Amino acid sequence: MDRKLKVSLIGALDMLKFKNLAPNRRKAIEAAPVKPLPKTIGTNEKAMFMHPRRQLVRIKDKIPNGPDAVTVVLEKAEGGALAPFRAGQYISVSVSAGDTRTTRSYSLCGSPDWAWQGIYHITVKRVEDDGFVSQFIQDEWKIGQEIAVSAPQGHLYYEPIRDEKKVLALAGGSGITPFMGMAYAIRDGYEDFDLTILYGSRKEEDILYRKELDAVAAACDKVHVVHVLSDEPKPGFEKGFITAELIKKYAAGEPYSVFMCGPQAMYTFLDQETAKLGLDHKHVRRELFGMIKDPWNQPDYPAQIRGKAFKVKVILFDQEFNITASADEPLLTAFDRAGIKAPSRCRSGECGWCRSRLLSGQVYVPAVTDGRRGADKDFGYIHPCSSFAMSDLVVEVPGQYQS
Amino acid sequence: MPKFDAVVIGAGNGGLAAACRLALAGKKTLLVEQHNLPGGVASSFRRGRFEFETALHELCEFGSEDNPGGCRLTIVNDYGLDIPWHMVPDNFRVITTASDGKTHIDATLPCGRQAFTDEMERLVPGCRASVEAFFDLGAETLAAGKYMTAAAGKVDSKYMQEHFPNFLRTAAYPVNTVLKKALKMPELARDIMNTYWGYLGVDADHLSFMQYVNMVCLYVNHGAWIPEKTSNQLTTGLLERFRAMGGTAWFNCRAEEILFDEEEHVCGLRTTAGVVETRHIVCNANPTMVYANMVPEHIVPDRERKLAGARRYSARMFVVYMGLNKSAEELGLKDYSYFLPQSADSVKEYESLKRIETNKYNIALCYNVVNPKASPEGTCIVSLTTTYMEDCWGEIDPKDYVKKKNEVASDMIDWFEEKTGIIIRPYIEEFEVATPWTFCHYASVPEGAAYGYELRDWDNMMPRMAMMREEYPVKGLKFCGASSIRGDGFNSAIFSGDTIAKLTISEINAEEAK
Repeated sequence: MDRKLKVSLIGALDMLKFKNLAPNRRKAIEAAPVKPLPKTIGTNEKAMFMHPRRQLVRIKDKIPNGPDAVTVVLEKAEGGALAPFRAGQYISVSVSAGDTRTTRSYSLCGSPDWAWQGIYHITVKRVEDDGFVSQFIQDEWKIGQEIAVSAPQGHLYYEPIRDEKKVLALAGGSGITPFMGMAYAIRDGYEDFDLTILYGSRKEEDILYRKELDAVAAACDKVHVVHVLSDEPKPGFEKGFITAELIKKYAAGEPYSVFMCGPQAMYTFLDQETAKLGLDHKHVRRELFGMIKDPWNQPDYPAQIRGKAFKVKVILFDQEFNITASADEPLLTAFDRAGIKAPSRCRSGECGWCRSRLLSGQVYVPAVTDGRRGADKDFGYIHPCSSFAMSDLVVEVPGQYQS
Repeated sequence: MPKFDAVVIGAGNGGLAAACRLALAGKKTLLVEQHNLPGGVASSFRRGRFEFETALHELCEFGSEDNPGGCRLTIVNDYGLDIPWHMVPDNFRVITTASDGKTHIDATLPCGRQAFTDEMERLVPGCRASVEAFFDLGAETLAAGKYMTAAAGKVDSKYMQEHFPNFLRTAAYPVNTVLKKALKMPELARDIMNTYWGYLGVDADHLSFMQYVNMVCLYVNHGAWIPEKTSNQLTTGLLERFRAMGGTAWFNCRAEEILFDEEEHVCGLRTTAGVVETRHIVCNANPTMVYANMVPEHIVPDRERKLAGARRYSARMFVVYMGLNKSAEELGLKDYSYFLPQSADSVKEYESLKRIETNKYNIALCYNVVNPKASPEGTCIVSLTTTYMEDCWGEIDPKDYVKKKNEVASDMIDWFEEKTGIIIRPYIEEFEVATPWTFCHYASVPEGAAYGYELRDWDNMMPRMAMMREEYPVKGLKFCGASSIRGDGFNSAIFSGDTIAKLTISEINAEEAK
């Protein structure tokens, strides 16, 4: 400290002023009126409306869509608006059957406008390899039944500050759903961009949302739909797969962003096609990868674990569960089967909702679905939806509360 | 029923520090957090190829191994946190218009007292003596603060007068009064010296000089630091230390009601995972919200209702996060932090921050300038932050929310490009915006005010600290974090958690001794 420093006096009572800092604060508090404490805060209420931890909805209707899909109309159970969403986002729905409890994420395929009237649409296609869930929903969900869903989430939406004004949406099968939502959003004035959907189906009869897509495209000059049939040549349809050439054709020389949604095999194929076009990361956005059902086909898969089963001890608050997990399935699937109430949402490694702590043992995390934070990897955190047991494990999972 | 010596509610910086200090003292401690990861605002999130720091600009009071600050001494030396850090070479670059409304300011101030002072003299010839006096006074203030903290409320005023006379003369005044009247600092130099006011959220006419000089000196003397892998590395790291010291942490577990015994002393906590027994709760949440919703009405003293009504919430945060598909070098980003207020006149600027339409100020950061590993090669991360001094985001209709946040973000990008001449918009590969609503959502702070209560006038840090022992009159319930005794800032939150935990430990020890 510089001993020579001597600052000028500001006022005659500087020292007293310092001494009085605390007494003055005491006085200021004492002099204030007693006001009731606010139970709620408007801004926070709005934030909670946008991001509820969970929403309770009632099944209002089930509408067949194409040969093997059903559009489920969900209505807010207590009435009023559901949390708004950006077209392309998804919700995670809870499904319970016997001891098993699980979640699945489905794109919101209705108009963002409908959420304000308390309505979401999701479309569930019957598939054989998603456990039992799509069949269960189609067969067992009854009109009038209440189910819990998450807030809308996900990042496959149009962002005017980031994306080109022209978007080429590449859809395969039920991958049309987020783009149906975007088409409605453009029609209803919620979004403003030029959407060209290249929609791949096997045959004409497999096309979902045929009527609705045609109607929106007819009513709105910013939405264009091109059907691409892989298994049958038909006049008025593009034939084959969605290729670099086809993308180039419909881009028509303008700058564009590519959004894609479809099965994992389609992503693998389209990665090669977009690479041919020289598209960079900025211009290619992809929907959730989904749970990996064939980890042995991943390039970094440790082949020696295939077919093995391991013991897993799961710690949840002060409870412990001892279960078995196959190396061929994501850990989360084993948790679900055992009825463990571990949180989950995207089931693609991305959202981090199932973030858990690996206390011992080793897991395989496919690079393509490793959405962990950098430090989390160092500290031994895993996302069970994208982790496969490589040894016996001890895992601590967070609980879940529902407000 | 599980029983703990202490329960910490909330795993923000303050709560984590409190939990670590309690565990370090051998107290059986439970940490409950309603989200699934620690940190509160001190965290990170992933988008595409990028991982974004949520909140930290630069950690104050950290310093190097050879010249450690209080924050390093606490979290590294005491708690044992071992993670890689990067030092920020310059304190800041400020580009704005001077208080005279004419002079253009573009100043980059280096770390280290000598270098900083030399640069100030180069920028404003003739200001050297006043800047030297500022740092001398800062040194005296730091020493006085250290003495008062050690004295823990039992201060010898004779000793103070003898050793810290200049401090005593100036400590009760706001920044502008001291710089003008006591230090006779030229206006242009004041304009530059005041740049950091935004980090405390109070303009220089109402900001305690003592708190400000303290912060500036800590930055200049110890440099500013960031963890290599975002704040999540700091907070998840602290959590791991807490567990290693024997602590228990429950995530996705919401504290719902604080329970009291017949003597109106804390006796437990009801959570979504069940009831736990404890006599001591350290709460890393906003006191007004906790008293309103988690404490029975008859327990809440009128003093707390008066205090809550007399205070104003401080800065409500708004951040634009961008992952750019070009490197910092390619884009010409040479500086780590760019302070871009409309005017260097903090009083005028503070007024403009009350409305969405008049707020233009943003602070831009490029993490890659300090940490080349902040994002993949050939890319960089830029964030733009502003704050609102009133609850103007509370007036937004949810139907207009997305449009409004994008409008504001777009204006902030334009402002950054105009002021720095650096073009970033065409290179945005990932883009995310956090508004005050986002901070409500993730940190449960009122109105998105991550800074807690305004450190303004009578409610500044100095008297808050001096009244530490009487600040929390409900028996067994204390608060830490930004809305506690020292206000906002990572270091202040950590300090508050550590200090409040020490008070709690002495109470537990006293009970055990009985």
